[in-house]
Amino acid sequence: MLHVHNASVFFSARDGRVVHALDRATLDIDANSVVVALGASGCGKSTLLNAIAGFLPLSDGSITLDGQPVDRPGADRGVVFQKDTLLPWKSVLDNVALGLKFAGVPARDRRERANELLRMVGLDGFAHSAPHELSGGMRQRVGIARALATDPKILLMDEPFGALDSLTREQMQELLVDVWARTGKRIFFITHSIEEALFLGTTVVVMSPRPGRIVARFDLDFVRRFAQERDVRAILSDPRFAELYDEIRNLVHRPHDRSHEGGDRPQ
Amino acid sequence: MTDLASRGAPHAAPTAAHPKRVRLHPFGLDGAPTLLISLTTGAALIGLWFLVSWLRLVPPLFLPGPEEVLTQFLAILDDGYAGATLGEHVSASLFRISTAALLAASFGIPLGLAMGLNRWVKGVFDTPIEFYWPLPPLAYLPLMIIWLGIGELSKIVLLTLAMFAPICLSAQAGVRSLPIERVNAALSLGATRWQLFLDIVLPSALPEILTGLRIGIGVGWSTLVAAELIAATRGIGFMIMSASHFLAADVVFVGIGVIAAWAFAFSYGMRLLERALVPWKGKS
Ligand SMILES: Nc1ncnc2c1ncn2[C@@H]1O[C@H](COP(=O)(O)OP(=O)(O)O)[C@@H](O)[C@H]1O
Ligand SMILES: [Mg+2]
Repeated sequence: MLHVHNASVFFSARDGRVVHALDRATLDIDANSVVVALGASGCGKSTLLNAIAGFLPLSDGSITLDGQPVDRPGADRGVVFQKDTLLPWKSVLDNVALGLKFAGVPARDRRERANELLRMVGLDGFAHSAPHELSGGMRQRVGIARALATDPKILLMDEPFGALDSLTREQMQELLVDVWARTGKRIFFITHSIEEALFLGTTVVVMSPRPGRIVARFDLDFVRRFAQERDVRAILSDPRFAELYDEIRNLVHRPHDRSHEGGDRPQ
Repeated sequence: MTDLASRGAPHAAPTAAHPKRVRLHPFGLDGAPTLLISLTTGAALIGLWFLVSWLRLVPPLFLPGPEEVLTQFLAILDDGYAGATLGEHVSASLFRISTAALLAASFGIPLGLAMGLNRWVKGVFDTPIEFYWPLPPLAYLPLMIIWLGIGELSKIVLLTLAMFAPICLSAQAGVRSLPIERVNAALSLGATRWQLFLDIVLPSALPEILTGLRIGIGVGWSTLVAAELIAATRGIGFMIMSASHFLAADVVFVGIGVIAAWAFAFSYGMRLLERALVPWKGKS
């Protein structure tokens, strides 16, 4: 269980003012769940993810993973960035195997494992390509495979498909559901697309800016349904989907009603 | 539909094999090939040289003709000049510049990386480096001679100092250019600090380091020849200097040609090294 408790983050802006980027966020990510943080840009989504990843200390509050306090980056939390961070001097295979190399896994074993992961993300045949020879979508697949290689307890993804065209994006969403169904990894996923949030999340938390806080929470089952039935149409045409879309859209766009702050909304 | 297709076909057929290919209007150079133009310019300059010497527009004492220079080159190759063979002059110069380059790189790269990574190292070494590196090396050559004598040591130290600064500064710049996301990605893959240095920092800084080496070697050549003009008994610079005492312009030309050839070989070698070590440069 990943447990974020009352996490607050203050930055100092360049002009010396204090930026309240995250305000008392509380969040649990259980086994086998996909928690999606949704919100307009600037509402503290990356801040929350960076804190969970251990890139950023909290001003206040705590984060624990299976009881262990999180205070630095580590291989138990795999991160997929929006901008790919593959090493241009390494082949696709060696990029995927990087974490295993850091862990001291022998070269043959890590090659085997990396090839397995490349197959899972649909990139067998590209093991010896250079990253710059791949398209944006393919590079994000490599990024996912690389993050999975060390068998982390949770996958943290900061708008991983945000820079992709919408067709590629849909393919990647389906791929991610496959990966999730296959590996059972918990996932913390950031997006500013309502549709993406509804499609991928077992839980969606909506965030609002200034100060960045979680203003609503929805528990969903579209992603489980998709993993079983693999029918996108059925999900998109589900009236619940449209209803939730409108409800969340209103939440995100309207300057929200302060009385609901922090409160959970019923499903 | 079929009508349209069949009507289009006869027109499309002849152009299909050789379609008129177009591209966006370029601006600036846009990678247009310049080799042929450069070679033609070179040939034209040599032709002009021939013409000027053949027409005796300038006295041969000042501007020897190409064939005179070539004859002189062959003569020096056979008999040497100023007490040493051409090979000895060249290898004296090459020994100085290579030794100095090796020394400058083996101090400059680690120190530059350390300065990029550590506040204390940066703070301590910034002052002396920023102080000495804008100085023209010839300004402190007399000091080197007073301290270290007229032998090889003073010249090698001078060259090392001249090449050290650009190498060190570019290694620092290499560390600075490292994107934080790359570091964070490696840390969340479980990299230790040492692994982070070897697998991320070093290769990320490599392109800048190689650029620094190239600049350093360029600085090295100009410093080398100047130092040999002033204080040496061997070396291409020395050869040029002795020739000037006898107004032997043809020997000066030979010396310049030899330096040009070697300097070109060095920079070409660096380019090959770059292609071998950082083939990804500019591609990500
Ligand atoms: N390093 C920083 N220094 C100062 N302010 C920051 C920093 N990082 C983020 N912020 C501010 O914190 C707020 C939340 O940022 P962020 O978490 O990146 O938002 P999101 O990812 O939801 O777009 C924004 O107002 C942003 O300007
Ligand atoms: Mg963000």
